[in-house]
Amino acid sequence: MPAAGSHVAHHFPDLEVQSHAARLGMWLFLATEVLLFAGLFTAYALYRMLYPSAFLGASKLIETSMGALNTVVLITSSLTVALAFHYSRQSRNRLAALLLVVTIGLGFVFLGVKAVEYAHHFHEGHLPGRFYHYAGLQVPGAPMFFTVYFLMTGLHGIHVVIGMGVLTWLAVGAWRGAYGGDYTTPIEVGGMYWHLVDLIWIFLFPLLYLI
Amino acid sequence: MSAETEHKHAGPGRYLAVWIALLLFTALTVALGRMHLAGSWGLLVALAIAVVKSTLVVLFFMHLWDHGGANRLVLATTLVFVALLIGLVLLDSATRFPLANPPTEATMRLMPPGPGAAPRAVPAAEP
Repeated sequence: MPAAGSHVAHHFPDLEVQSHAARLGMWLFLATEVLLFAGLFTAYALYRMLYPSAFLGASKLIETSMGALNTVVLITSSLTVALAFHYSRQSRNRLAALLLVVTIGLGFVFLGVKAVEYAHHFHEGHLPGRFYHYAGLQVPGAPMFFTVYFLMTGLHGIHVVIGMGVLTWLAVGAWRGAYGGDYTTPIEVGGMYWHLVDLIWIFLFPLLYLI
Repeated sequence: MSAETEHKHAGPGRYLAVWIALLLFTALTVALGRMHLAGSWGLLVALAIAVVKSTLVVLFFMHLWDHGGANRLVLATTLVFVALLIGLVLLDSATRFPLANPPTEATMRLMPPGPGAAPRAVPAAEP
């Protein structure tokens, strides 16, 4: 484990102050992320209010079991990230790295399930706006449901991919023993990003799949 | 510092307990979704469960239970602005003249008065 002092930037008096600053900075960044998604949640709320029956009908075209499976996958990946942080604090760096790799694997599972769903929607014509051509549900508002659906799950999927990139970088660092003991800020902050991805999905799942 | 922070950070048992609780709430929300509760109750119950689940994630996975202070203030401020955004947009749209919203099932058949509309009574000009 490297000496804790080497990680403190010169403008911080000690590691604890630096950790607090990093944590607060991450919460501020996550605030901007939440507000980014809030715009799409607002669009969802508005169009759901305008087209209640179309949203009800269109959400039945999305397979609930796939969304439930992905919910379980993301919740479990949140657990593995939290455990990686825990073992990194105990300087069990290899175990932390392995848990991060498991998390990345669960990210791939999530994207795979999403790809199967997207392929089905493309095949059936459940597409946004004027590209919507599903004959089974021709009501005003159904194309708008899929516009909102693809925007929300698409932006969320981009965040999953970015999170997997961050976790890869963290896993390499953890394996090499760059973190551990008192210095676990990168794993904590990177983990918070992954938890945010989980948080957004916790709201997307009932709104899009269950209604 | 480590004695204090070690004390504040619970072991993996707490993470596992939160994970099990999240799985149970997921099963609950799926089961309730299958029941198709009347009216808007389904949406309200699903959102309530989502709020409980996200509270668990924020408090225990994101450690807001242990790290309070400014971090909690940032999150609370964020939620206020989310509520303002969604609330005010919905209030605006819900209280508009219906034809000022995008066409819906309710307003598609209504037509705004155009050139072919019946002539309205023009009030006589004041002398």
